[in-house]
Amino acid sequence: MARHLVLALLFVATFVAPAQAADAYRIGMSVAITGPAAGIYAPAFDAYKVYFKRINDAGGINGHPVEIMFGDDRGEPSRAAANAKKFAEGVILIVNASISPTYKPLMTEAEAEKIPLLFGGGVCPKEAFPPAHPLIFCSTSFGAQWDSRFAVPFIKAQAGGKAKVGFVAQNIPVSQAEMEFAEKLAREQGLETLPVVVVPGGSADFTPFAAKLKDGGADWVLSWAPWPLEIGVFEALARIGWTGRYVTYAHQPAQDDLARLKSPNLFAFGGNALFTEALPIHKEIESAVKGQTSHPPHYLVEGWVSAMVLEQALRKCGWPCSKDKLAQTLATVSVDTRGLRGGAIEWTADNHYRQRAYYKVYRWDTGSRAVVPVGGWTRLDVK
Amino acid sequence: MQAVAGVVVLASLYVLLGVGYVLVYRASRVLNLAQGDLMMVGGYALFATVTTVSASPFIAVPLALAVGAAVGVLVYALLMRPMAGHPVFAAVLVTVSLGILLRVAVVLVYTDQTRYPLPAMDLSNPPVRLPGGAAVSALDVVTVASAAALLGGLFAFLRLSRLGIRMRAAAERPLLAAQRGIDFHALFALSWALASFAGALAGVLYASNVRLDPSLGILGLKAFAVALVGGLDSLGGLVAGALIVATVEVLTIRHVNPLLSDVSPFLCLLLMLLVRPWGLWGTREELERV
Amino acid sequence: MAYGSGYFKTTYEADMALVDTRLRRLALATLIVGLAVLPRVASPFVLELVTQTALAAVGALALNMLTGLAGQISLGHAGFLCAGAFTVGILTESVKAPPLVTLPAAAVVGGLLGLVVGVPSLRLKGLYLALGTLAMHFVVLYVASEYQARWGFNTGVSVPAPTVAGVRFRSGVQWYYVLVAFAMLTTFLSVNLGRSRVGRAWMAIHDREIAAASLGIAVARYKLLAFVASSVLTALAGALWAYYRSFVSVEAFSFVVTIEFIAMIVIGGMGSTLGALLGAGFVTLLPYGIDAVVGALAPGGAAPYWLFPLKFGAFGLLMALFLVFEPLGLVGIWRRARTWVVLWPLRYAPLRTVR
Repeated sequence: MARHLVLALLFVATFVAPAQAADAYRIGMSVAITGPAAGIYAPAFDAYKVYFKRINDAGGINGHPVEIMFGDDRGEPSRAAANAKKFAEGVILIVNASISPTYKPLMTEAEAEKIPLLFGGGVCPKEAFPPAHPLIFCSTSFGAQWDSRFAVPFIKAQAGGKAKVGFVAQNIPVSQAEMEFAEKLAREQGLETLPVVVVPGGSADFTPFAAKLKDGGADWVLSWAPWPLEIGVFEALARIGWTGRYVTYAHQPAQDDLARLKSPNLFAFGGNALFTEALPIHKEIESAVKGQTSHPPHYLVEGWVSAMVLEQALRKCGWPCSKDKLAQTLATVSVDTRGLRGGAIEWTADNHYRQRAYYKVYRWDTGSRAVVPVGGWTRLDVK
Repeated sequence: MQAVAGVVVLASLYVLLGVGYVLVYRASRVLNLAQGDLMMVGGYALFATVTTVSASPFIAVPLALAVGAAVGVLVYALLMRPMAGHPVFAAVLVTVSLGILLRVAVVLVYTDQTRYPLPAMDLSNPPVRLPGGAAVSALDVVTVASAAALLGGLFAFLRLSRLGIRMRAAAERPLLAAQRGIDFHALFALSWALASFAGALAGVLYASNVRLDPSLGILGLKAFAVALVGGLDSLGGLVAGALIVATVEVLTIRHVNPLLSDVSPFLCLLLMLLVRPWGLWGTREELERV
Repeated sequence: MAYGSGYFKTTYEADMALVDTRLRRLALATLIVGLAVLPRVASPFVLELVTQTALAAVGALALNMLTGLAGQISLGHAGFLCAGAFTVGILTESVKAPPLVTLPAAAVVGGLLGLVVGVPSLRLKGLYLALGTLAMHFVVLYVASEYQARWGFNTGVSVPAPTVAGVRFRSGVQWYYVLVAFAMLTTFLSVNLGRSRVGRAWMAIHDREIAAASLGIAVARYKLLAFVASSVLTALAGALWAYYRSFVSVEAFSFVVTIEFIAMIVIGGMGSTLGALLGAGFVTLLPYGIDAVVGALAPGGAAPYWLFPLKFGAFGLLMALFLVFEPLGLVGIWRRARTWVVLWPLRYAPLRTVR
C-alpha cells in the first residue's frame, strides 16, 4: 500500500511547479553533471553554484538575488531539450556546459523562445563567431581555428622554422576538423606534415596510434581534443621512447598532469592562466570554493569566467531585466577577467566569441621543478 | 616488433578481464556484464587504499585485490544468489544494474575526475626497451606477467587442487555435484570472488599504467567479445581469442582505419557467431538447424 | 483475470472486441479525451515529458514484441533506433527527401537490419543471440559515427522540420499529437498481435520451441517475423525521433539506451502490452519524479552534487529491485491492486492465472 502511495505522490509531484522567487534574476543551466562527459563539465556546475551563492549572500545584483535552475542533461540531447522546455517558463538566459550533441536542441528552443544562450565550458559553436547569431554567446577559452592559428606558429618558432609535425585528433568532428585545419595551416607555413591520426576516444591502449606517429618520424606533435586523449597519446609516445615535443591544449587537469609527468617535452597552451602562477584571483577562488566543491579549485576556472561574464551582464542590464534586454546587453559586455585570461573578454553585436584571444604556454621546468610559463601572453585579433 | 609487443600487451589486458567472464559463466551460466565495472572498482580500491591506508605498493595492492575479491563475494551473496531459479536473462540484467550501481557509488565518492594512483605510490613507469627497436612501459611487462601468472595459477587450481576439481564438477553437472555433497553456493561465491579478483587485478594494473576514471567499464564489453570468440567456458580459448582479437585490432590501426579498431572485437564476434557460435574451444551448446 | 462471474457473450463480435465492458469503454474514452485536451492545461515541459514517454512507449512495445512475446533476447535495440534516425538524417541531408520518402525508407532499412540480425537467431539461442545483437549494435553505431564524422561542427546531422501535406511540424504541441497518436496505434497493433495467430505462435515459440514446431508452427518464419516487425517499428520510432529533435547524433544511441528499454519492459512486466506502457512511463519519468519530490521537500537553493549521480543510480537500483523481488513487474503490482479492489472486503487470493 505504501508503495502505491509513494508512486501516486511522485506522479502528482511532477505537475506541481516549484516555488519561484518573484523578484530574482532567473537563469537556467543545462550541464552534464553525470554521464560520460561529467569529468569535464561537472566542475562548471560547482563553479556557478559557489559564485552565485557568494553574490546572493552579499546582497545580490542590483539588489536582487540570482536564482539558477540546474538541469543535468548527462550529455544527451533529449534531456537537454527537456531542460530547455523546463527553463522556458520565465528564465532570461540559458547556460550550457555540456558536449556538443546537446547544442542543437538548446539552440532550437532558445530561438523559439528568444532566450539568449551562453556556452560556458563546451566548445564554442560557430554561431558565436563573427558573424554572430544574436542569441548565442560563448565564453569558453578554447575555440576552433584560433587555437591552431596560435599553436602552429608557436611550433614553427620553437622548432626554428623546420620541423615534421604530426597531428592527433579524437573521433569527434570538432577535433578532426580542427586538426585538418591545423595541418593545412602548417603546410602553408612551410612545415613538413604527417596525416592526421584520428584516435577513438574509448581505446584501451593508445600505443599503436603513438607508434604510427613515431614511425612517421614526427618531431613535433599537435593535439586538440578532450584532455584524456591528449594526455593519453602523449604518455603512450613517452612510453615507446619518443623524444619529440608535444603541444596540446591545456584543459582543466593540465597543471596536475604537467607536474605528474615531469616531462620537459610537453607544452600545454591555453586561454586560462594556470593556478600555478598563484595570482590574487587564484587565491580568491581557492578560498571561496574551499569545502564547497569536491573538485580541485583549478577545475572550476571555465565556469568561473563564464559566471563573471554573466554577473557583469546582469549588473549592466539593471532591473527589471528581460531576456531581450539581456541579449542586447550581452552583446556589449567587456569583462575584466582579473588575470584569469590574458585580457578582457569583449563582445560586440557581430562577435560573441571575443575581440582578442590570448594564449599562454606552460611546461615543466626540470631545473626549478615547477610548472612555468613559456613566454607571456600572445594576442590574436579575432575578426 | 612494436606491433607484436602491442598485441601481447593488449591481449594480456583482455585475458585479465576475460577470466572473470569465463569463471562466472562456467560456474553459473550467467554473463557478468558488470565485469568492466568490477575492474574500475578494483582501480578505485587501489586509489582509496593508497590515499587513506598506506602509500606502499606492497600493502596497497594486495589490500585492493582483497577488497576486489570481497566485492565479488558480496555481489554473489546479495544479488546473484537471490536470482537463483530466475531465468538467466534476468540474472544478466541484474549484473547490468550492478554495473550502474558500482559506477554511481564510485562517482559519489570520487566524482568523475581522472585519478592517477601511481604517483601517489611514489612509483614511476619507465619505458623498457625490447629487441627490434620496440619499447613498452614497465607496467606493460607487469601486465603480461600477471596475466600469465593468473592463468597458470588458475589452470593449476582447477586441475590439481581439490577445490578446483569440485568447482569444475559443480559447473559441469550441478545436480550430481550437489548429490555428492558439494556446496555449490560456496563454490559459486568462490568463482565470483576469483572473477572479481581478476577484474581488480586488471583494474589495478590499468589504473597504474594508463589512468583511472569511472568510464573504464566500457573496456569490459570489448573483453566480453574476446571471451566469446574464445569460448565462454574455456580459459585456453580465452588466450587464443585474446591474441586473435588483439592482432586484428592492432593491424587495423596500423594498416586499415584507426576508427575501425574500436569495433573490431565485435566484428570478430559476429564472424565467430556465424561460423562457430560456441567459440574456439567452448562447449558445444545445443543449436538447431533450420 | 481475477474477476468473479464471467460476462456472457452472445456474439462473436462481442467476444472479439477489445473493450468489452461499459466501464472499459468509459475509461478509454476518458483517456483519449484527457490526452487530447492535455496541451491546453499542461505546461510545455509536461507536454515534452509526455511526448518523450509516448516515443519511449513505442520502442518498449516493439521490444516487448520481440523479447516479451517471442522470447528472442535482443541487446541491440538502440542500434535499430539509430538506423532509423540516421536513415532520415542521411536522406534529408543529402537528397533533401520529404518525410513521405524518408519514413518508409527508415522502415525498410529497419526491416532489412532486423532480417540480418534475425537470421543468426535461427541458429543461436538465448545468450548467444543476445550477444549477436549486441555486436550488431556496435557495428551500426560505428557506421553511423563514420558518417557523422564527416559532418558539421556540432557533432551530428541536422534535420529540418518536416512538411507533410503542407503542414510544417515544428511546435511541441503538434509533435505531441503526432507521437501520442503513433503510440496509440502501436499499442493497438501490439494488443491485436498478441491476440492473433502470430502472437500465439510467438508465445508458443517462447515457451517451448520443439513443442511449437511439432504443432506445425513454422518456427523460423515466425522468429524472423518477430525480428522484422520489432525492428521496423523501432526504426520508425527512431525516424520520428530524428524529426522531433531535428537533430541526430550517435551519442544519443549508446548502449545505455538499450538498457533503458530493457529496463522498461522488465520493470513494466515482460510479455504484456500494459507492462511495456507502464515501464516506459516509469523509466522516462523517474528522474523528473525524483526532482519533483526533492524540490517539494527542500525548496530553494541549488541541489547538492550528490543528488545527480543518485538519480541515475536510482534507475539501476530500481531495476535490480524489480528483478529480484517483483519479476512480474509493474503489471504484477497493478493486477494485485486491481484484484484487491475487486475482491474487497474479501481477502483471499484468487486462483493464479497465466496472463
